[in-house]
Amino acid sequence: MNAAHIHLLLNHFPTIGFCIGIIVFIVAIARKSDDLLEAGLVIFFLTAALTIATYVSGNDAQAALTDTPGVSAALVKVHESAALVAFAFMQATGFFSWIGLWMLRRISRVASWNLAVITILAIVTFGLMARAANIGGEIRHAEIQDAQANSLDPDAPTLARSWGKYVEDHTWVWPTCETLHFVGLSMLFGIVLTLDLRMLGVGRNALSFEAMYQLLPLGMLGFTLNLITGIMFFVAMPKQYTGFLFFLKMMLVVFGAVNVLYFMVCKAPWTVNDGVDAPVFTKLVAASAIIIWIAVLFCGHMLPWLGNSF
Amino acid sequence: MINVLQTIQDSDFCQWVRGSESLFAFAGILLVHTIGMGFVVGVNATINLRILGFAPAVRLSALEKFFPVLWLGFWLNAATGVILLAADAVNKLSNPDFYVKMVFIALAVVNVKMLRSTVFRDPLIDKVPPSGKAKVLAVTSLILWLGAITAGRLLAYVGSPTPVLK
Repeated sequence: MNAAHIHLLLNHFPTIGFCIGIIVFIVAIARKSDDLLEAGLVIFFLTAALTIATYVSGNDAQAALTDTPGVSAALVKVHESAALVAFAFMQATGFFSWIGLWMLRRISRVASWNLAVITILAIVTFGLMARAANIGGEIRHAEIQDAQANSLDPDAPTLARSWGKYVEDHTWVWPTCETLHFVGLSMLFGIVLTLDLRMLGVGRNALSFEAMYQLLPLGMLGFTLNLITGIMFFVAMPKQYTGFLFFLKMMLVVFGAVNVLYFMVCKAPWTVNDGVDAPVFTKLVAASAIIIWIAVLFCGHMLPWLGNSF
Repeated sequence: MINVLQTIQDSDFCQWVRGSESLFAFAGILLVHTIGMGFVVGVNATINLRILGFAPAVRLSALEKFFPVLWLGFWLNAATGVILLAADAVNKLSNPDFYVKMVFIALAVVNVKMLRSTVFRDPLIDKVPPSGKAKVLAVTSLILWLGAITAGRLLAYVGSPTPVLK
């Protein structure tokens, strides 16, 4: 199994998985069902998280396919640019879906502005993702290639390369993104530590889960800042982010997403009132959150030593 | 003075920190420094943002229980920071940015202490909303930690870089 296998396996989530999400979401709105709405939002959020791993695995897949006969390098580049745009809209959909999920528990409904934003983003994302997937398919399937595929200029600058060039020419961009990446990291850690250590017993007497739940969007804000700055690093210098360690970091981010869903969707944490000791399973999930995010930091930090960064 | 620093920097331990390929040397010490940063700045920021009005249902008085986590991060970073400084003493101590970072951290620690006496020693905590003074201290705290992070990150870019094996 190589990187191309992983990319081919993961690419079903942003396409087929997302399609299922849209169907559930539309039926939920038509039937005014909060349960289905919750399910649709969960699918959107998880699909967005898996799309992070899918997008970055394309980097290694491209490297694995270099010099393979029958693979059009120009087509790979067109696919990459299409995927980047689709990726951005997918993450926006995931972000607003998460906000919707959060509201569903906080105020027992999702604001109509949020539903409208998610609907528009989901439809646009679906179109963009289908286009990216279609071009991706053409890379290996000559029988479905457009006639003009052969006339594509392999040296045309992609969206990603233009950004890479901008970062190269403006030396302030990289350190600024790094600093913001640290700020986001700290915000995320602050919320992970306070929420999850409370579940493990710190400040138990005067803190309920329901109160701590209000803090979650601050952690999400920190994560979003890091997703944006992180993808800026990746797109500017993809050669630094090849190999197992970086992919592991992205998979750990997916685990982090599943972890936070436990607290938003499952009932057990909500039984934790002032002075109540959390159930054992909730404690395990809380402890694993702290471990997951420290492991994410570990993988990123060690890239120059154990990975391929310089 | 330079000679003293040079001697420290040339000690076996400091040479090991800089030169060893072991993950427990430079890579691991810097890792702990980054995790510690997440602890100290993260818990600080959470408390500051709560004072500024986010997550109103969270009882401020109970957040005091997280101060040990904050100080754990702080002391981890003090210890790893001293090692990182010793290993690159001549360069760091001739780098103005290093002093900028130290000033930010010193002021941020004073800010934590002031916040503690203003907010957490107040018998009316949780009974009345945080005072204007408390909110000002919360904002200055966020600015000072942001300054410390920025100055720290820029240490890798301004002045002479630390020579380390990767």
